[in-house]
Amino acid sequence: MDLSGFFKAESVAVVGASSTPGRIGFEVLRSLSQYDYEGKVYPINPTRSEILGMKCYPSVLDVPDKIDLAVFTLRSTMIPRLMEECGRKGVKNVVIVSGGFKELGGEYAETEDEVVQVATSYGIRVIGPNCIGVFDGETRLDTFFQSRERMVRPPLGPIAFITQSGTFGVAMLEWAASVGISKFVSIGNRADVDEADLIDYLKDDPQTHVIALYVEGFRDGRKFLKVARKVVSKKPIVILKAGRTEQGSRAAMSHTGSLAGSYGISRGAFKQFGLIEALDFQELFDMTKALALQPPADGNGIAMVTNGAGPCVMAADAFVERELQLAVLERESSEKLKEIFPPPYIIDTSVDLTGSATSKDYRGAIEILAKDKHVNMIMPFFVFQDTPLDEGIVEVVIEAKKFGKPIVCGSSGGSYTAKQSQRIERGGIPVYPAPERTVAAAYALVRYGNVRKTLENKGL
Amino acid sequence: MQKRDVSHIIAESLRSGSYVLEPYAKTICANYGIPVTRFKVAKNRKEAVKSADELGYPVVLKIISPDIVHKNDAGGVVLNINTPNEVRKAHREILANIKEYKPDAEIFGILVEEMVAPSTEVVVGGIRDPQFGPTLMFGLGGILVEILRDVAFRICPIARRDALEMISEVKGYQILKGYRGQPAVDINKIVEILLGTSKLILNYPEIKEIDLNPVIVYEKEAKVVDSKIILQKPGTTET
Repeated sequence: MDLSGFFKAESVAVVGASSTPGRIGFEVLRSLSQYDYEGKVYPINPTRSEILGMKCYPSVLDVPDKIDLAVFTLRSTMIPRLMEECGRKGVKNVVIVSGGFKELGGEYAETEDEVVQVATSYGIRVIGPNCIGVFDGETRLDTFFQSRERMVRPPLGPIAFITQSGTFGVAMLEWAASVGISKFVSIGNRADVDEADLIDYLKDDPQTHVIALYVEGFRDGRKFLKVARKVVSKKPIVILKAGRTEQGSRAAMSHTGSLAGSYGISRGAFKQFGLIEALDFQELFDMTKALALQPPADGNGIAMVTNGAGPCVMAADAFVERELQLAVLERESSEKLKEIFPPPYIIDTSVDLTGSATSKDYRGAIEILAKDKHVNMIMPFFVFQDTPLDEGIVEVVIEAKKFGKPIVCGSSGGSYTAKQSQRIERGGIPVYPAPERTVAAAYALVRYGNVRKTLENKGL
Repeated sequence: MQKRDVSHIIAESLRSGSYVLEPYAKTICANYGIPVTRFKVAKNRKEAVKSADELGYPVVLKIISPDIVHKNDAGGVVLNINTPNEVRKAHREILANIKEYKPDAEIFGILVEEMVAPSTEVVVGGIRDPQFGPTLMFGLGGILVEILRDVAFRICPIARRDALEMISEVKGYQILKGYRGQPAVDINKIVEILLGTSKLILNYPEIKEIDLNPVIVYEKEAKVVDSKIILQKPGTTET
């Protein structure tokens, strides 16, 4: 499915452009025209002749050049007529930012049907309504009414994010600034383009390495699963399903007009079709980040190395819930470790280098663990506050990528810890501020490794 | 019996109501490789005794009526019948109960079934989910399903591997694997039942819901004791 017109559009019309700062029609126009997006931008409003120094047109039909994408920012009831004009103009892609459709029910739902009907008759694909639209990490096209002063646009990177909630979309865009975003779509009521169409498109998008999804319900669950099965053989999908309880389902209905359905069934479906389920928003981001930066794990055996034991105990507890295993080291590895690290270093379920550990100690331990056949993933924890641990640790961890095994780290603390963690992350290894979050990330890598193996066995 | 007959049963059942009478439901199940209890349909008391003699004691008697869905509530089931005299007594009792419960209920006959030995109970269900379409449910019987909702779902069609996963996913899996000297049950038979149920609901859009509850599982076999198949007119949007 080719939806590239939404992301690679060379010209965009803002239908309902406003000259009043703070109005949606103004802010969307500003986002498109005043920053890095290099395409042509046309404000459409019959009552203005110029906005932000650009010539304003009464209708898309008056624009002399072609229009690849139209963004609607005006009242829902006006949209069917204006969609018709887009059709006659030959516009093929439309984003409807405005609300006031199916989420309100009744005649508003009929307006939505009418809009889709007109669009379909002209072969127009529609994203929205009731959404914040799209962002492309490369072309820098964005339809957001969130100003640059308030919301960072992330750099180009491996994560694609599809969301039914604009609010989470906004948060994800900012959190993901450290890793980067390829494509972002807020689907809102998904009157036309839905989550299945988008993952199908993203499957073949070379810039996307992992897809994160926030959904409240599926428009066509069977279609989605069928497409998802093909997608996960190429790249992982992390999914957060909200509306898990009856109360949550009712909220979803009034939010985006979605039927949230039985959560038990969704869970079963995710397992069956190789999707990775995140249980909360934090997890959605943590897991996505791990999959964006690290290779999938070849099994569920994990070795921990630390200079403080507490996090390993908590992580070991979390392993049980996630069906992960503490790797049982090969005899040779244990002997080598005991040779290099005599007591009081503790070589047991995890390698505890104790508070006197230096980056050299970590280097030695990581090398032995990485070469152990029983170890599928290395999980280092750091107490960066411990002064013996020199700054060389950043290089040591980043260097360990050469062993080819996935690495996820954990470290908790204040500003110095955050700074060290960021330096390691910039080198491509994720560091999480709580042990259970590190374990959730590890789970995602193990799960995707399993999914890949299962698909290979099935010959897919 | 041929597949054609399953279509025939479903078409006939739809004409007269919204569910398939139990003996027909069991016949359909048997056609899809789902093991069911041995049974006979008796039109009168004399036939009931003859059926019981042929099946061997103990037996169970159940009312067969398109007007009675919840047979237990109507006093339409008598368990653990051991002699011809007890069959006669149970037969009279059921008819009297039904007359009181619903005087105008149409009575199709009495189902005479083998009474199976108690063992671990599981539940298999097929539903049409509004988002995902035909979907399977598996759980352990009794409080594990009813109170703890310890169930697993998969979308149809399922592969053998999916069936095994859903069985091992429920918390009660430990019970199926054997515990405290109790032997493990025949998990492969449960897999067969899940695969059969998946095929059945996919083949017939008229089927709205399949409820095999309980299914009794033993070391080397399994038997569906009660099977409900609820129907809908084709093309109706299911809820």
